[in-house]
Amino acid sequence: MLMDPTLGRVIERWRAGDRDAFEEVMDRYGLQLLRTARLILRDPSLAEDAIQETFLKAWQRIGSLRDEDPGPWLTRIAMNESISLYRRRHRFQALTERFGRLGGAKHEVSSEARLDLSQALAQLTPEQRAAVALHYYQDLSVQETARVLEVPVDTMKSRLRTALRRLRELTGSEEAFA
Amino acid sequence: MSDDFEKNLRQHLHSEAEETREFPRPLRGRIRDSIARRTRVRMAPQLALTGALVLVAVAVLVFRNPTIVNVVTTDFNKILQPRPSPTPQPFLCQDQSGGSSGLTATLTNIRAGSHAGDGYDRVVFDFNGGIPSWDLTRQESATFVRDASGQQVTLEGSAGLKLVLRDVDLTGAVSTDMKPRFTSIREIAQLGNFERVVTYGIGLTSTECIRVLQLSNSRLVVDVATNGSASTTAAPTPLPTVPPSASDPGPFSCLDQSGGADNGLAMELTAVRVAHQPGFDRIVFEFAPQAGGTAHIPAYTVSRQASAQFVKDPSGQPVTMRGSSGLRIVFHGASGATSDTGSRDQTPNLPVVQEVEQLGDFEAVLSWGAGLSQASCLRTLELANPTRVVIDVQTP
Repeated sequence: MLMDPTLGRVIERWRAGDRDAFEEVMDRYGLQLLRTARLILRDPSLAEDAIQETFLKAWQRIGSLRDEDPGPWLTRIAMNESISLYRRRHRFQALTERFGRLGGAKHEVSSEARLDLSQALAQLTPEQRAAVALHYYQDLSVQETARVLEVPVDTMKSRLRTALRRLRELTGSEEAFA
Repeated sequence: MSDDFEKNLRQHLHSEAEETREFPRPLRGRIRDSIARRTRVRMAPQLALTGALVLVAVAVLVFRNPTIVNVVTTDFNKILQPRPSPTPQPFLCQDQSGGSSGLTATLTNIRAGSHAGDGYDRVVFDFNGGIPSWDLTRQESATFVRDASGQQVTLEGSAGLKLVLRDVDLTGAVSTDMKPRFTSIREIAQLGNFERVVTYGIGLTSTECIRVLQLSNSRLVVDVATNGSASTTAAPTPLPTVPPSASDPGPFSCLDQSGGADNGLAMELTAVRVAHQPGFDRIVFEFAPQAGGTAHIPAYTVSRQASAQFVKDPSGQPVTMRGSSGLRIVFHGASGATSDTGSRDQTPNLPVVQEVEQLGDFEAVLSWGAGLSQASCLRTLELANPTRVVIDVQTP
């Protein structure tokens, strides 16, 4: 994606090691990235850790940014950081999920135990939440979401479908859309 | 396929995300610190290796050609010898201007120093990205008018200088009020920072001649003579006794207004600002192009209405703003859902504009309302770099 010339000049200064330019980029993209990370991690402190690591990596890897808008590039780093941080912090949960799947168990939700959307989002995998956050919060297309998360478009379509179905089940909304 | 559930999900994610109102300052500090640490750690072995290589190279050179020692020390002494200072520019008793337009400059620091022994006090404005367009105006009082608010402010001293910098961003570290209380320069205060026009007032002990230097394309230096001791080359020009008023950008009209063009990718609303200026209240909608899009003014209409009641889009819910009259501003081909992190309901309580609130942002149709204390005439301006639609509401 092409950059507007003003942003292009800022990136050139950043490439030359200008920290003020880097902070201008942080001003421009930081809040949106932090909000998205928080949607994935469901924890403000973890989200801040992920974004700190994101900008640190971005500073170190500026050479890998081509002549393009840094937004998708930063988002890709932030999503990878968020997902891997979530995985590191929830290893035990991931293990129990795996055993649960092997045993064929499925988390059924009775109508009395319907969750609100916030609780339901917490039940998704971090990869699903990242897809949902990029597609429904950042309003990226399925293709753009797939590109940022570095998965094939068909995989992304399937991931979004699965995430939506799960959210509907958990919130008790599936009947209306069956 | 979009349905109500997806719409609810989208709204839920937005409201959850907006619980984070701003990028936390401590986080910014942590990032800054971690970068500084990594840079030091990364550079340390490189510096050590470079130093060692230089020492080895020097040793080899001296061993092979001992006369080089004399050459090097002679040149080194030349460097250490004080250079004759360049012919100082004269102090002028008149307004001055300079800089370059079209830059994206950032004001990073302001410093003041006393050189009373040499006959002047100095204030230095440090920039990143070059020295922007500037005007320095002398005046016979230390009373200035703040930009945007129109309020008067009196600085220390009995005379003043007004410095206007155009197309400038500010870093948070720049002081907004300094009182060095030197022989000539008594106080330096920010008078305005609006639409990337940054204004500073400098309170002086008395009217003095000035010298302005632009150094290394990064420093704007204002020297103020102390008690007429510096040499001057021109007679003082008459000074304005009242601060100059804002230039008139055009007439007001009491009709609805429209403009822009729905042209390709939707523009992203990045900020909404409201402020008073002499004779009008100003509402500014600032836009940026989406990635891959081009900057343009989105199609817009500004409709006057006889009440401050509006209908939200698309919910259809009524909303009543402060005031007794209103403006409905609708942009086609624009959205602020993900780009505008500011407040969606501002109550600036200006002479006429009492409230500005977002009414809808749906399917690239972005609508805002303004509650006014009275029906007023309007003027709209379309500005570039950054892209802005400016609505001036005439005040009594």
